[in-house]
Amino acid sequence: MMVAGVEPRTLVEPQSVDELTDRVRELYARETPFAFIGGGTEMELGNLPRALDTLVRTTACTGVIDYAPEDQTITVEAGMTIAAVSDVLARERQFLAIDAPDPERATVGGAIATNLSGPRRLRYGGIKDTIVGVEIVRPDGVRARGGGKVVKNVAGFDIPKLMVGSLGTLGAIVGATFRVFPVAERRAALMYAVLTVDQMMSLCAELIGAALVPAAVTGFACAKRGRYDVVVTFEGFARGVEEQMTTAAAIAVRLGVDAEALPDDALAAQGKRERALRRGANWHLTVCAPPTALAHFVATTPFADDVRHAVDPLLGTGYFAAAEFDVATVAAWRTALGGGSAVVNALPAQARRGLDSWGEPPKAALAIMRRLKATFDPKGLCNAGRFVGGL
Amino acid sequence: MAAILDFAQIVGKRNTITAPSELRTYECDGLAGFRVRPAVVVLPETTEQVAAAVKLARSLGMPIVPRGAGTGLSGGALPVDGCVVIGLARMTKILAIDLENRRMRVQPGVINLDISRRLAPLGYYYAPDPSSQSVCTIGGNVAENSGGAHCLKYGFTVNHAVGATIVTSDGDVVTLGAQSGEPDSLGYDLMGVLVGSEGLLGIVTEVVVKILRRPQATRTIFATFPSTDEASGAVSSIIASGIVPAAIEMMDKLAIEAIVAATHVDWPLDVGAALLMDVDGVSAEVEDTAAAASALIEAAGAIEMRTPHDEVERGLMWKGRKAAFAAVGRISPNYYVQDGVIPRKDVAAVLREITRLGNEAGLRVANVFHAGDGNLHPLVLYDARIPGQEAKAEHVGGEILRVCLKYGGSVTGEHGVGRDKACYLGEQFSGDDLATMQMVRSAFDPYGVLNPDKLFPTPRLCGDKPGAYTAHPVEISGQAGRG
Repeated sequence: MMVAGVEPRTLVEPQSVDELTDRVRELYARETPFAFIGGGTEMELGNLPRALDTLVRTTACTGVIDYAPEDQTITVEAGMTIAAVSDVLARERQFLAIDAPDPERATVGGAIATNLSGPRRLRYGGIKDTIVGVEIVRPDGVRARGGGKVVKNVAGFDIPKLMVGSLGTLGAIVGATFRVFPVAERRAALMYAVLTVDQMMSLCAELIGAALVPAAVTGFACAKRGRYDVVVTFEGFARGVEEQMTTAAAIAVRLGVDAEALPDDALAAQGKRERALRRGANWHLTVCAPPTALAHFVATTPFADDVRHAVDPLLGTGYFAAAEFDVATVAAWRTALGGGSAVVNALPAQARRGLDSWGEPPKAALAIMRRLKATFDPKGLCNAGRFVGGL
Repeated sequence: MAAILDFAQIVGKRNTITAPSELRTYECDGLAGFRVRPAVVVLPETTEQVAAAVKLARSLGMPIVPRGAGTGLSGGALPVDGCVVIGLARMTKILAIDLENRRMRVQPGVINLDISRRLAPLGYYYAPDPSSQSVCTIGGNVAENSGGAHCLKYGFTVNHAVGATIVTSDGDVVTLGAQSGEPDSLGYDLMGVLVGSEGLLGIVTEVVVKILRRPQATRTIFATFPSTDEASGAVSSIIASGIVPAAIEMMDKLAIEAIVAATHVDWPLDVGAALLMDVDGVSAEVEDTAAAASALIEAAGAIEMRTPHDEVERGLMWKGRKAAFAAVGRISPNYYVQDGVIPRKDVAAVLREITRLGNEAGLRVANVFHAGDGNLHPLVLYDARIPGQEAKAEHVGGEILRVCLKYGGSVTGEHGVGRDKACYLGEQFSGDDLATMQMVRSAFDPYGVLNPDKLFPTPRLCGDKPGAYTAHPVEISGQAGRG
C-alpha cells in the first residue's frame, strides 16, 4: 500500500484501541515515522510524506460503543466502515449523513480525517456538522477525548471539529460519536436536462426562492460542452416530497427547460456517482469555492475533452476526473478560483514532482496550524509532510 | 496612568473607560456573583484598534479579557485583576450581505436578532436564537457557541458561523475558515475550534455567517400535561416518529407559574408541565407533521392543546418561553441558573432526581429547557437573606451537573464553562483530555494572556476541589516549566 507516493516499510494492524495506543506510544518513543490507514480509499491524497516507516491500520477496531436510537446518536470505533455503521442504523430506520463514494471500504476514522463530503451535505450538513464527539490517540501515544455523546455540548474546546479534515496529522482517530437522522419516508428526484451554467444557477435561485428544501442538487456535465443534467433530490414525509416535486416541475416550465422525475433505480444509483465519475481516471480533483465562483469557474474554464465532472452548485463543490492532467493546469485552476481551492485527491505517482496537492492557505492561519502541529507532534513523526503547507 | 493614556491614543478618550463608577458596569457579566474591577476598558471600533490595544496590553504585561454584550451566564467575560477589557459592543457594522452565496459578514458587536431583522425584508434569517438574542452580540455567540430553542433542527453557532477575522494574543490579524461561501477552507478547521473557545484563542473582529431562507410555513403547538413524565413521553414519541421539530421546549409547573406571573400569557396554572413546539418547512410537510405531532401529544396524555391563531399570538407564546429565566425572579427573590445536558431518553428520570435534590435541600427548582436535545435549565430558587440558602442553592446546582454526568451528558449545553464551571470540567474530562485542549490553546496563545482563569480547572480556581491539574500553555509549548 503506497501512501501519497511512498511505500511504508512495515504495516501493523492492532487488534484493539488499547493495542493501537501502545503501538503509537512505542513508535513515538523510538522516533519511528508513522501514519494511519483506514480503508485506504484516499491514499493518494496529500503531498509526499517527509518520512514514513510504519503504517498503522485501524480496521480491526470495529466495535459499536453505544447506540441510542431514541437520542439519534451513535458512538463507534473508527475502524468501522461507513457501510457497517449504516447497517446498524438501518435496523432502526436511521442513517449516518456521510455520503462516502466507497462505503464498503471507507472507515469512520478515514472519513473524518479526510472530511469526506457528498451531495446530501446540502440538507444534513457535513461531518463537521454531525460529529459530536471524538476519541484520539495523540502522536505521543496519549489517548484523549473531546466533545461527548450528547448532541448539544459546549464543554471545552471543540476537539472533534479540529480532527475533521486533519488527515491523521494530529494523531489517530479511534472513536467518534455522530448525530444520526431518521430515514425519510419518501425520496424522489427531478432531472433537468442539458442546462447551461446560467440556467443551472437560475434553477438554484428558484429552488431557494420558493423555500424548497432539497436534500441534494447535483449538476452532471453532459457530453455537450458547457451543459449539465441537474438532479434535484427531495427527502422527507411523502406529501412534503410530492409538493416539492410539483413546485420543482413548475420551475422547469418557468425556466423553459425539460425536466422529468428520475426512476427509482436511477435514484438509487445517485450514491455511486462519484465512483462512476472517477472510474478509469488517474487524476481526481475536488474544487471548493463559493457557489457563484464555482459557477463562473465551470462556465469559463476550457476543460480538456477527457475531463469528466459533476458540481453541487448550491454547496460550492465540484468533482473532477481525468486520464491526463498536469501541474500547470492545477495552478491555472487555482488562480481562476480565487479564494476557492482545488485539491488533488489522486494522481499518477510520476506526476507528483512540483505539485502541491492542496494549494496555499492564508499565511497567518498557516502559522497557527504550524504551531498546532508542532505542539501535538513536536518530533514531526506523525504523517509528516503530507498535509497542507507541508505539515 | 501613562498606560491608560496610551490606550486612549488608540481608541480615543471617548472609548476608554477608567472612572471607577463607569468601570463598575464591566465588573461582571450575566453571572453577577463574581465581580472583579478591570484596570481599564477600551471600546474599539476597528480591527486595527483591537490589534493595537492587544499589542499595548502585551507590552504592559496586562491580561486581556474580551467582552461582547456581557449577557453570558458563566462568567466568561469576568475581568481578572489588572486586566484590560476589550469590549466589542461598538463594532456594530453589517459589512456585507451576499444572498447568492447565502452569507453575511458582520462586525462582532452586531446584535444577534438585528441580523435576522435586517434580513427579514429579503426573506432570509440567521438561525441560532439564544433567548438573549435581542441583546447578545454575534461575537459573544461565537465565543460561547451559543444555542437557542431552534438549534434542535438547525444547529448551533458553530454550524452557522463559518469564518472570522480574529486578533491573536500577539496582536496579529488572522482570517480563519471560509470567507465567502466556500464549504470548506484548507488545513485544520481553526474556525471550528475557535467557536466556543470562550475568548481564549482570539478576539473576533469580523464574522461570516450562513443565512437561511425563511421556511414556507411554521406551525406552533402549545400543550399541557399532568406532569413532566407525560410531557417527556410526548417528546420521545415525536422524535421517534421521525419528525424533527424546529424547536421543542418544556416548562414544569413552577416555570409556568413564573412565566404567567411575569408575562400574563393565559397559560393554565393547574397543570404539571407544558410543551411549546415549532415545526417548520414546506407547507404540506408542516401540515402533516403538525397533525402527526398533535396525535402523539394527545396519545401521550396531554390535558389540552392550543395552536396560536396568528403571528401575534405565536410571538407571545415564544416571548413567554424566552422570558422564563427573568420571570422566575417574580416568584423568588434569588435563583441560580443551571445548564446541563443529558441524553434525551433520560429526561424524565433526571427531572425526578433534580426534584429529589431540591427537596433534600429544602429548595424549589423550576425547570425550563430544550427538551428536544436534552439541554436542561434547572433554576434553583432561594432567598439570599436566609443564611445558608445561597450555599445550598449552589450545592444543588453542582449536584445537578453531577447527575448530568452520571447519565453521560455534559456540564454545559450553551452557557459555557467560563469561570463558573471550570472546576466541573475536570469531572467531565480527564487530565489528558484537558491537556490536549491546552495544547490547542498554546498554539493560539502560548502565554495564556487571553481571558485567563476561565474554562480550565486550576488549583488556584478549584483548590482541593475535583478537577485535575492542567498545565499552563507555556509549560506545554515548552517555554516555561514549573517547580
